[in-house]
Amino acid sequence: MLENGFILRHPLGKLTGCESEEIMPEGGFGAVMARAGVGKTALLIQLAIHSLLCNNNVLHISLNDPVKKVGLWYKEVYRNIASQYSIADQEQIFENMLPHRFIMTFEVEGFSVPKLKERLTGLMEQNIFRPHVIFIDGLPFDESQIEPLSDLKVFAKNHSLKAWLTVRIHRDEKPDSDCIQAQLNSVEDLFETIILIQPEGKEIYLKALKGGKPDSVATGLSLDPTTMLIKESDWIKRT
Amino acid sequence: MKHDIFKVRNIGISAHIDSGKTTLTERILFYTKRIHAIHDVKGKDGIGATMDSMELEKERGITIASAATFCEWLDHEINIIDTPGHVDFTIEVERSLRVLDGAILVLCSVGGVQSQSITVDQQMKRYKVPCIAFINKCDRSGANPDRVIKQLREKLGHNSVAIQIPIGLEADFNGVVDLLSMKAFYFDGKNGEIFRTEDIPAELLQEAVKKREELIEAASVFSDELTDAILEEKEITESMIVTALRSGTLSRKLTPVILGSAYKNKGVQPLLDAVTKLLPCPHDTENEALDMDNDEAPVILTADPKKPMVALAFKLEEGQYGQLTYIRVYQGSLAKGDTIVNVRTGRKVKVGRLVRMHASQMEEIESIPAGYIGALFGIDCASGDTFVSPGLSYTLTSMYVPKPVISLAIAAKDSKSEVNMSKALNRFTKEDPTFKTYVSDETGDTIISGMGELHLDVYIERMRREYNAEVTSGVPKVAYRETITRKAEFNYTHRKQTGGSGQYGRIAGYIEPAEEEFIFDNKVKGGAIPTQYIPACEKGFKNCLAKGPKMEFPVTGIKITIDDGASHAVDSSDMAFQAAARGAFLEGYLKAKPVIHEPIMKVVAETPTEFQGTVMGSLNQRRGIIFGTQDEGTMCVIEAQVPLAEMFGYSTILRSLTQGKAQFTMEFATYKQVPQSVAEELMKKAAEDKKGSQKK
Repeated sequence: MLENGFILRHPLGKLTGCESEEIMPEGGFGAVMARAGVGKTALLIQLAIHSLLCNNNVLHISLNDPVKKVGLWYKEVYRNIASQYSIADQEQIFENMLPHRFIMTFEVEGFSVPKLKERLTGLMEQNIFRPHVIFIDGLPFDESQIEPLSDLKVFAKNHSLKAWLTVRIHRDEKPDSDCIQAQLNSVEDLFETIILIQPEGKEIYLKALKGGKPDSVATGLSLDPTTMLIKESDWIKRT
Repeated sequence: MKHDIFKVRNIGISAHIDSGKTTLTERILFYTKRIHAIHDVKGKDGIGATMDSMELEKERGITIASAATFCEWLDHEINIIDTPGHVDFTIEVERSLRVLDGAILVLCSVGGVQSQSITVDQQMKRYKVPCIAFINKCDRSGANPDRVIKQLREKLGHNSVAIQIPIGLEADFNGVVDLLSMKAFYFDGKNGEIFRTEDIPAELLQEAVKKREELIEAASVFSDELTDAILEEKEITESMIVTALRSGTLSRKLTPVILGSAYKNKGVQPLLDAVTKLLPCPHDTENEALDMDNDEAPVILTADPKKPMVALAFKLEEGQYGQLTYIRVYQGSLAKGDTIVNVRTGRKVKVGRLVRMHASQMEEIESIPAGYIGALFGIDCASGDTFVSPGLSYTLTSMYVPKPVISLAIAAKDSKSEVNMSKALNRFTKEDPTFKTYVSDETGDTIISGMGELHLDVYIERMRREYNAEVTSGVPKVAYRETITRKAEFNYTHRKQTGGSGQYGRIAGYIEPAEEEFIFDNKVKGGAIPTQYIPACEKGFKNCLAKGPKMEFPVTGIKITIDDGASHAVDSSDMAFQAAARGAFLEGYLKAKPVIHEPIMKVVAETPTEFQGTVMGSLNQRRGIIFGTQDEGTMCVIEAQVPLAEMFGYSTILRSLTQGKAQFTMEFATYKQVPQSVAEELMKKAAEDKKGSQKK
């Protein structure tokens, strides 16, 4: 979607060791974990914008915010990205992205994975929208989600989809030896990549708890607290 | 009329379609004893609600024109304007909110914040009108006031605070618990007219205490006294909370939420109490005028009847006794026999009859003091005109008037209808600034433009009923635009020098795309084009915008910069440079890759989830881009952008696709370039039309 003269890498490439667009296989799940208000949605939307710029269709599912608010998130994050990487013709590029993005919002209590599958199937069968990547923001993780998430993984694999999900963790809950929080313990196997957003002092670090390269902690990425963009990624480069 | 201006409330009732505004107003008039019988909006008795006085309103069960009335409650005078919910009649909401001090935002407890709720909220923001939210229809299946309060926060950004909790919901909706007095209110009697206060039911006490704490916490931000009382653990009185809530409401930083069911006669009396306690009086609002004698310096008006008069005419109605002008007096007093000046025209007029309105009925009065709304007869003026006492030159900003988005060609069936149609159009365009009419130069068709299909449909029907003008309507015309997509230079010489006085002018520069409609930039140096001819150049360019060279659609989004030229000592003139500008425009325009733009509408469709896929498919088929869906229990809201050209007749299609269970609203979003295939179709059609008219 960007004009000639740009190379796109994956925003998390430096963490995962995979600089190309693809850091997950088809049917792959990625998790973005953090406490409330630390930057899960901002990171998720950066990943979504990357997918859109790679000409993928993105389905964004929000269990927190209405359609308009999600739309505003995209506008705001994209504007910061365009400014950081000096993208020319940014308005036109944003307009071109819109038909490739579909936002679905649900109330938490009204959401279920079977319902999502039904909606997705309807969208695809009627050729209304065929996503390549799904972003789910706000899904509560508990014991009851094991089976539905497993179902969703099978569905994703069958339809060549990838999915990123946000996972809210709590200050009081202690992680296990691999730093995986309790919420993901029972479903960890479903995830190829798990990214933790961790504030430490004035910095907000990104750590790959799963799917990262061995020294990713040392060469870690961080979020700019002002814009919430990934600081050291340089994922959009001019040739 | 009350003489204590602090006990006056001028309020509007606004909401999405079918939220219950007119039904609520009917109950308000009943409980305040302005009317003695309640009639339903689309009742079997055929009488209709008081505020829907037009036959068409009664038949269709919709409010078309805003209607004013007044009543008394708790020794306060409440002037009410009931407004329509359809976006087609948005001008009625604009004009009402322009002149009112407060508003009630009615929300359906099932539908919640809907598309027109967002529009009227924006209108309230535009005119800085404080509001109370009334969550209506709590008796309906699916009623969920908590969800609506959450939507008020999330979708409208309000700091919404419940000051009541419901006693039962849906079929069990029985009353409300008032969190200020911590009492339960019930509404007995055939029409809910017997107001009963009891202790809070035991099963609701815990929730009431919790919600009251939330209320007090939210209100404390607006009152040091309340904050101190909380911190010092002193008694918190009802009046402390009310004072704090009022402060928050008036500053538009807090929205109190009241619950009820107007149709089931529940919750209206507490709403009236809240209007008197929480909404502003004319003194509480700041009204500003511009002093035309002092470089349009802003001047704050005071609601003092003794000061020179300043008033705004906000609505016109042609009736059997002539033009009725609705007027809001902001300062001074307007009395019968006074001489006043229309600031726009400079004309002095003598005030004849003054009346106060109660829907379609009038009551003669002697004067309209500051802070009040009334009407005058026999004054020729336009909506938005400012009237002042002689010697004053203040002007009030008018209401915002949105541009029409849809047009229709109409033709009278016979010559008698032609005359009547003309009279009707003259009247309607005068009364409604969003309804426009013109005669096409090329085809001679009479074109009417408005805010939607319903808008035009209503006027055609009114022409038939009120003026006996039978008209036929043609295919609606979409308001296409032309614009350019790249920069192009021009260097044009207009020369007619064949002997005697001729014409000469050369203009050079460039044309490029712009965000605004039209920008003219003069960069001519060294007098290459004499300064006196620059305005003529600009005029010449501007005149080209009305009909674009590509398809004769209006041109927009153009910046023209002139940086060179030449003139002749004798033959150059304004006319020569206007002609040169026309030629230069054509030259540059055709090189600048012109394209056609079409209006794109924001379409919000609400449908049961079972029809979600079908509705999305129908929008997709219409070149729509679906931005997202919002799942709200059994209903789903689909947001899309669809070209206006594809939306004609969609209401019928949607009805048939969804067994009549879905509805949609449509408002203008933006202009976008048409696809190549559509552009080719338009050019083909334009060529055929031209051929046809040439044959004639």
